[in-house]
Amino acid sequence: MKDDFEPTIIGFLCRWCSYAGADLAGTSRLQYPPSMLPIRVMCSSRVDPVFIITAFLRGADAVLVAGCHPGDCHYIEGNYYTRRRFACLRKIFETLGMESDRIRLSWISASEGPRFAQVVTDYTDKIKKLGPNPAKKEIFL
Amino acid sequence: MKGAILKIENSIEKTIIEFLKKGLDKKLFDVVLIPVKVPAGDSYAWVLVQDKALLEDANPLPPVMLVQGAKALSSITRRGKSNKKIAAIMRPCEIRASIELSKLQQIDLENICLISIDCPGALPLKDYLEDTKKGIDTFKKVIKEWGNESVRPICQMCDKSVGLSIQSDLHIGIFGAKNNEIYLIPSSQKGKSILEEIGIPAEESMDNWEKKTKEFVETRKKNRKKIQSTLSEKVMGLDNLLETFSNCINCHNCQSVCPICYCRQCYFESEKMKLSSDDYLIRAESKGILRFLPDTLLFHLGRMTHMSLSCVGCGACEDACPMSIKVAQIFSIVGDRSQKVFNYIPGKSIEESLPLKVYEEDEFHDVEKP
Repeated sequence: MKDDFEPTIIGFLCRWCSYAGADLAGTSRLQYPPSMLPIRVMCSSRVDPVFIITAFLRGADAVLVAGCHPGDCHYIEGNYYTRRRFACLRKIFETLGMESDRIRLSWISASEGPRFAQVVTDYTDKIKKLGPNPAKKEIFL
Repeated sequence: MKGAILKIENSIEKTIIEFLKKGLDKKLFDVVLIPVKVPAGDSYAWVLVQDKALLEDANPLPPVMLVQGAKALSSITRRGKSNKKIAAIMRPCEIRASIELSKLQQIDLENICLISIDCPGALPLKDYLEDTKKGIDTFKKVIKEWGNESVRPICQMCDKSVGLSIQSDLHIGIFGAKNNEIYLIPSSQKGKSILEEIGIPAEESMDNWEKKTKEFVETRKKNRKKIQSTLSEKVMGLDNLLETFSNCINCHNCQSVCPICYCRQCYFESEKMKLSSDDYLIRAESKGILRFLPDTLLFHLGRMTHMSLSCVGCGACEDACPMSIKVAQIFSIVGDRSQKVFNYIPGKSIEESLPLKVYEEDEFHDVEKP
């Protein structure tokens, strides 16, 4: 049954690197699963942890935050703050016994089209194994 | 550690008030911010007192915590330093919240002298209001016993209520105050000069008091671990979380009384959260069912991500919850764990930066996935 399951992954992609990386993957005609819904943000540090939790509680099977590699941020230091915030959010997920595998932070640069395709493929496989997000069925959310 | 010793006259409270009067006389501070009995007689409010006669009605350690002291201080100095010198007498958690708020630019500490006091805890607001006379009697016992279980659960597990774990200007040690003495321990130049001007320089050794408070803190730490691990089992996992917060009536009291939640407009009360009818209907349709109002858990989880790093565990949220949800205790678990990630203790030191305001280039590689 789990094989039929097609996960929905919400991807917050930074406008300068990861979104361009996704674009490159497309223009290079690389194959990757159509499981990710991209949302373009100006910087990965624009992503308030609340956005991630919202997506998660509303039933997204996973949330991916992707930005420029550390040191390459268009705004010099945005992704360093993203990383700290993400570390905090992960700890909160772990503390409360929520599946922290369903949130992921990756660095993908504008030139890394193949890497983008690889990240989406790998993550989709992983979430397929995890199964659907249990929050989907919760009534009292 | 050096401090000054004051002999207790009548009661601890009166002795502290006499000390404050001397400070006012010598113009070491112009006003005192202190809880004062309200006209009804059974409750307390923060009052800026200049008149010495009014200080008679003040109580440096009221049985309950009504408005969090840091909120009072923030309303005075939010827009810049106070033009009068203020001595603020607060519980340790209120001092720690004040320090967090000063880092968040909501309090200007320049003309403020923070005076902390060993705190035996506060009674739950609900218990106290049911029978205030009984509450006052209970609290007398609480001050004598230290570790009495009538105080709020969050106070029973507080490991920063006594001793010098806080960065105030002057600390009043009343823990284990035997021999009819209380201790005044300066932790800054401001505090030191106040004691010198009043004529009781800090020359006595405080080692004995310090040792005792440290022992007490150790037992509290054990207690904290115990309470947290029992509670943690009950809230872990999405199902348990939902069960815990399913009573929530969305009043947002926990947020509005929280000293750390200073935002002029909370995200959760903004237009962003007022979704269109269509949005609700689509969600209801895709799920087959939808609770109203939805997003209760989102509010609590969101608040955790926004303020748990600065949470001082004062328990104001739990006192304010009409549904008796153990908000403060749950937040203390999340707070402790997330603060540990950055080795950060909120309110410990004014020099330490807020964890999300700084970064290092080479850190936290475990959260980035290749």
